[in-house]
Amino acid sequence: MSKIMTVDVLSSIKGAQPSEAVNKLFEVIKKANTTNNNAFNNHNNAVSLNNLRDDVVIDSSATEKQIIIENFPKEKNGYLVVSKVIEE
Amino acid sequence: MSSQIHHIHQQLMNKDISCTALVQEKLDLLKQNTNNTVNTLLDTLALDLAAKVDAKIANGETIGLLEGIPFGIKDVYMVQGTYTTASSDLLKNYKSAYTATAIQKLLDAGAIPLVKENCDSFGHGSSSENTIFGAVKNAINPDLVGGGSSGGSAVNVAKDYTVFSIGGDTGGSVRQPAGYNNVYGLKPTYGRISRYGLMAYASSTDCVGPIAKSIEDIRIVLNIMSGKDTKDQTTYASADISQEVISSSENIKTVGYFKNFIETDAIDADIKSDFLATIEKIKAKGIEVKALDFFESETLVSTYYTLAMAETASNLSRLDGTNYGNRIEGDNLKETYSVTRSENFSEESKRRIVGGNQVLSQGFSDEIYLKGLNLRDNISENFEKDFEEVDIIISPVTPSTPPKIGDSLKDPHAMYLSDAYTVGFSLGQLPTLTVPQGTATGLQITAAKHNDELVLKFANFLKDTI
Repeated sequence: MSKIMTVDVLSSIKGAQPSEAVNKLFEVIKKANTTNNNAFNNHNNAVSLNNLRDDVVIDSSATEKQIIIENFPKEKNGYLVVSKVIEE
Repeated sequence: MSSQIHHIHQQLMNKDISCTALVQEKLDLLKQNTNNTVNTLLDTLALDLAAKVDAKIANGETIGLLEGIPFGIKDVYMVQGTYTTASSDLLKNYKSAYTATAIQKLLDAGAIPLVKENCDSFGHGSSSENTIFGAVKNAINPDLVGGGSSGGSAVNVAKDYTVFSIGGDTGGSVRQPAGYNNVYGLKPTYGRISRYGLMAYASSTDCVGPIAKSIEDIRIVLNIMSGKDTKDQTTYASADISQEVISSSENIKTVGYFKNFIETDAIDADIKSDFLATIEKIKAKGIEVKALDFFESETLVSTYYTLAMAETASNLSRLDGTNYGNRIEGDNLKETYSVTRSENFSEESKRRIVGGNQVLSQGFSDEIYLKGLNLRDNISENFEKDFEEVDIIISPVTPSTPPKIGDSLKDPHAMYLSDAYTVGFSLGQLPTLTVPQGTATGLQITAAKHNDELVLKFANFLKDTI
């Protein structure tokens, strides 16, 4: 398999091509001047490690489980049916 | 306009109207409406809840301020047991398994959900034309777009089909439709309201935002929805904003505006002259007004879309028809993924997903994605410096009046550029309110991060000034 992945493969969208409208945006970024080269300074959005939620399993309600099953695209005896995987 | 929530609350308490009659009237209006604002009516749920409110009142019990108040929900929020389609083919039969935190807080306060509202698919658009439910028509002139992506929500409020609606704002999706339909729309500080249960578009700028006809109603709904939520680690605890505190503007001394937003050929001549006239009225009240330097519109739009596309490509990669959604079977697993996604995503959503994957791919990521992040930092720093000099920044909401239905779809790049005045504040994660005053599409009021209170305060001042 080729090491270069095209955007249609990356996006799982058949025949997808880069668009002119979006490429125009990228050109602006390429030409823009920035005042420093450090992309990860104090404005990142990382969450503080001192404030994480409890690491516990919370069981979903019966209603929630029922709706999740209702949303299965294909279902057999209460199980989700998925396509078989063929090795390449 | 004064608070509709207070007014209806009094009417219910005085038994001037019944909650059931009120809800039925709004449901009828929504059902008959020709503006394409409705994806799903929640009629059974709404009438059941209304009957309970009526029973409480009949028993002489007191009801909370939001109890019995009918509201709308953009169709990107989870509400257990209701369809949540994101206006897309992929999720047209998808049922929410749980309820979004922001919506749950409103339900707990007794507000009554009437409708899941039409919007651009997955929030991808500025006109509410990118939807399988038909383009949303503007509340004032139905030949024009309703704005987007929360178009259905803004039109419902403007037409009095809902008392308030909950939109979602990633790059202007609450503020711009609010401006196009002459109502109030708030994008709070990022993290003030939990995003849990809001379908993710670009997680680093996604905000839950109320749309209403008065500042007071925005305040009430904002207070209910705000707060720390363990299910969204980016949330923070915030104090309630009181009605009294925002009624006086005495500590607002200096207001700024970005001169390059105004000194450009891209702005409509009337919007420009109306904005400048507003500046003069503010000066006449003894407030100092400063013209500020800011980034070029093209840089703001390109930075925003580059990062938003990267985030949406990542967020929507889960939508492959495996566990839920409209799966279309192919010969094998990969084929199933790609047929499902190709057939079910709209052209605009595909454009953004492909753009996002370009941004994130090797060879591009340093040149575009990391540089985009760097630009975002520069923009945030610029805001920090500005708010050392001014208390409030005001700006137009859009460079132009709403386009005709059909025009935006023809030129996606022009649609992206129409977001020039809203996206910068999203990148800065700042609180920004659209008020239906000052220009044909309103004004934006922005304050420093976490200072949502000052935004509402200045809005009250402007209401009495212009």
